[in-house]
Amino acid sequence: MEHDKSYTGGRKYSNDEITVYWKPSACIHASYCYRELIEVFDPGRRPWVDMKGAATDKIIETVNMCPTEALTWKWNEEAKNQSVGNDQSNHVRFRRPELLTQGESFPEENSVSVKIMTDGPIVLKGDFNLAYSGINKDFREGLVSICRCGASDHLPFCDGQHRKIGFTG
Amino acid sequence: MEDNKEKKPKTVIEVIDSGPLKISGNFILKDIKRDKETPMGEVWLCRCGKSSDKPFCDGSHKNK
Repeated sequence: MEHDKSYTGGRKYSNDEITVYWKPSACIHASYCYRELIEVFDPGRRPWVDMKGAATDKIIETVNMCPTEALTWKWNEEAKNQSVGNDQSNHVRFRRPELLTQGESFPEENSVSVKIMTDGPIVLKGDFNLAYSGINKDFREGLVSICRCGASDHLPFCDGQHRKIGFTG
Repeated sequence: MEDNKEKKPKTVIEVIDSGPLKISGNFILKDIKRDKETPMGEVWLCRCGKSSDKPFCDGSHKNK
């Protein structure tokens, strides 16, 4: 991912069993989390993650849908992490290696998946060349979300404004 | 040794200034809300939020 690198800006939320890690800089606002489990992930609430909102397995399932590393999780009991995953990074223990939504794979070489998210952005995934404001960039297994509501402060990219302005379409 | 893996041309995505998103090449467009999936060669997607033919551009961005 492009703009990233500061996990220091991240937060974590725990229940008795697991800890969910939230890394806002990695979020592309694909909005799987709150569409799937608003009881736990509610962007309009502070704090926006309420670990009491659902059972652990449901939280895990939803975190696993996140197409980026913005949401990850691990067991509180360290031994359980060792036995299941062998990912080197601390906070990304059980992610599918390709960082994809469940049941999906990256499109074949030089093919691109273009997803129109419900009332949200256009999510581009795969190998493509993106040209914007005089910049021309090649992406290999890229994941980029483009604003569809017109209200983003970071055009052409989505910054989550669609939810605030109540965009439908 | 011959490289028999033929390279397909790259899919090109162009953000048109104050206009739509143009996509051309090898891609699959999946519209989750309308539950439609289409492989397409070239498409212009609305970026202003005003099109009445979403997700496609219908030129509405020109009417301020």
